[in-house]
Amino acid sequence: MSELKEKLKAQIIEQLNLENLTPADIKNDMPLFGEELGLDSIDALEFIVLLEQNYGLKITNPSEGKDIFFSVDSLAAFIEKNIV
Amino acid sequence: MQIFITGYGVISSIGLNVEENYNSLKNKTSGIKLTDSTIFKNYKVGSIQYSNEELAAMFNLQTKGSRTAILGMIAAKEAFKDHELSSEIRTGLISGTSVGGMDLTENLYKDYLKGNFNTEEYKHHPSGVTTIEIAQELGLEDCFLNTISTACSSAANAIMQGARLIKNNVLDRVIVGGTDALTEFTFNGFRSLMIFDEEWCRPFDNTRNGLNLGEGAGYIVLESEVSILKSNSKPIGILSGWNSSSDAYHQTASSPEGYGAVLSMRGALEMSCLNCNEISYINAHGTSTPNNDASESMALKTVFEGNVPAFSSTKSYTGHTLAASGGIEAVYALLAINRGVLFPNLNFSQAITETQLIPQKIFEEQKRVNHVLSNSFGFGGNNSSIIISSLN
Amino acid sequence: MYYIHAISSISHQQTFDLDSIHNGLVKLTQESPLITPEFKDILPPTALRRLSPILKISLTTAIRCVNDSEFDGIVVGTGLGCLQDTEKFLLTINNATSDVLSPTAFIQSTHNTIGGQISLFLKNHAYNMTHTQNALSFEISLLDGMTLLSEGKSNILVGAADEKIPFLELLNENLIKTEYSFTSLATFFNLKNAKSDKGIFVKDVLVLANSKKDINEVILQFLEKNQCNPSSLTKVYHSDLEISLSTEKVNYLDFTGYNYAASALAFHIGVSKLSEDKGSILIVNSLIKNDLGLILLER
Repeated sequence: MSELKEKLKAQIIEQLNLENLTPADIKNDMPLFGEELGLDSIDALEFIVLLEQNYGLKITNPSEGKDIFFSVDSLAAFIEKNIV
Repeated sequence: MQIFITGYGVISSIGLNVEENYNSLKNKTSGIKLTDSTIFKNYKVGSIQYSNEELAAMFNLQTKGSRTAILGMIAAKEAFKDHELSSEIRTGLISGTSVGGMDLTENLYKDYLKGNFNTEEYKHHPSGVTTIEIAQELGLEDCFLNTISTACSSAANAIMQGARLIKNNVLDRVIVGGTDALTEFTFNGFRSLMIFDEEWCRPFDNTRNGLNLGEGAGYIVLESEVSILKSNSKPIGILSGWNSSSDAYHQTASSPEGYGAVLSMRGALEMSCLNCNEISYINAHGTSTPNNDASESMALKTVFEGNVPAFSSTKSYTGHTLAASGGIEAVYALLAINRGVLFPNLNFSQAITETQLIPQKIFEEQKRVNHVLSNSFGFGGNNSSIIISSLN
Repeated sequence: MYYIHAISSISHQQTFDLDSIHNGLVKLTQESPLITPEFKDILPPTALRRLSPILKISLTTAIRCVNDSEFDGIVVGTGLGCLQDTEKFLLTINNATSDVLSPTAFIQSTHNTIGGQISLFLKNHAYNMTHTQNALSFEISLLDGMTLLSEGKSNILVGAADEKIPFLELLNENLIKTEYSFTSLATFFNLKNAKSDKGIFVKDVLVLANSKKDINEVILQFLEKNQCNPSSLTKVYHSDLEISLSTEKVNYLDFTGYNYAASALAFHIGVSKLSEDKGSILIVNSLIKNDLGLILLER
């Protein structure tokens, strides 16, 4: 699971172009859409792209994403649960 | 100085000219359908069911151009049909577009990726070239031409700029509006935003889920009184107010309270010296997205202090025609005034829970329609409102 | 009167954050790079991560024009818009391996992203317009700014920007046909009716499109209308045109490169020149055949 989380952090940095960050800057339980990272609704859509392109998981309704993308922990949990 | 309107023209999925559009509006005939195009997959769109070649032949167009330019030529020609160019009347053209010649470019680019390169045809790509091609078709030379590209508020802004240039004595007469064709680029762009409804859109409905894309063009002719004395044209309305403001909230979403929309509507009302209760009808932006319709509803309630006049979105007829919408809807505003009718907000059944606003549900005739407010809100937080008034 | 206050440019010349730019100009070659500041010292990382080159240089030069009061109008001209993001989204569509598409490039491909980003950054709610009439976009934006001041506004931000992408080179041989190098540039300035320190103002602007009129005749009529004796002009900056006036003439394309916003940088050069000496400067923009933009600057 921790390997997945490290991989996820690198993928998040790449997909959202967070060029000034390293995986170490993103804590596992940190709210991704909180004050620190300054992510917005466009980034939420990029997360949907990330999930489909890297893990084959589809999210058809953007509002479903709120809970899934809350933190690296919740993202990893979702992937583990749904990946075939 | 009053700004008179002395011509109008439109082409959309509900008609190839003003009369056809009016009949569809009256008969509640929507142009939003599934097409057999592989581009749009299983999404309904408001497309004009003729190819570029067919349209050029039907309308005897002499100038080559992209589909956006062709649609613009057709609507602008209809608007200008009772006018003649004259060296005594400084005439200009201001056209809004977001797509420009992308309908051609995207196919050329596919060829390029496959290794076939045809450079010459890229000449139709720039949005400014679309306007030049429309001008050429109208025979407009040695003139002021402009293209405005502010996404979905482009045509409304073109109308506004035209009026201001007349007031500031740069022009006497100006054809203003906008045009956008359906393209794979914009279709996929909106799809990437997950902003479509797979069903027929439901503006201002509580269950609305997104928009349907459309295509079309709409133009009106603005003239000063002095110009009318020379051109002998017949006024059909007055452009009595306008305003453009910025939401400054987010690149693609509107603020929940519709701050920018409140500013643009209030600004237009102030300019026209009208009280809220003098507005007979509002043609809303009403794209049917969860965000816009909620935000616009809040803004309407704020501006009209709970007493919102009859309003509807005509986008469940035409689809969202992007940059053309302000121009097409200006034409519909003129029809409402001159035919004394109110257009329904098709496919509505349930009011939005938070705002409880109920749009115009039926096509109503024999109405006194004196002043119409029309809203057009674009990505980038660009909010524009215009007010068209009857001559009386 | 339309006075020019703060002005800022980023280009392939040393122009950024310099009080005077007209003396250090060098003739550009294909190798001349875009000369940019350290953006991370000026723009926040949350914004910076997404911004394409045209957005970075536009936002940076716009920020340099901010003064004590809020702008009550923001007007931007761009001929070709956000080309990098436009091409990026075309590639996204064509290379798609799954059903979902990344939206960021699409959102930033619209021409008014420049104006939109400035408005967002400054939390500015005023009039915000984007004019895209090819190489006349700057002149039309300037005219719009002047119109806003005539209508009672007092503090306007006006600018123009266009960027190059490698694809333009492919179009050069058969379509564009220019010997000048393609460049990226952004010029923004603050226009007010209040007099500036140097007192440089825009006397008049002409926009003439789809025209086969003799440019030199149009120039003479324009100068006559403005009671400007051609021999009193300090300089004429032109876009590689045979000007029949006997005034000192400079081909600005040597310094701006081929760019739809080139006349905006020529404007900055003219303002810089007038900062040194009183006089009047004419800018003649005929970059695109049959389109003419004229700007008369005075001090």
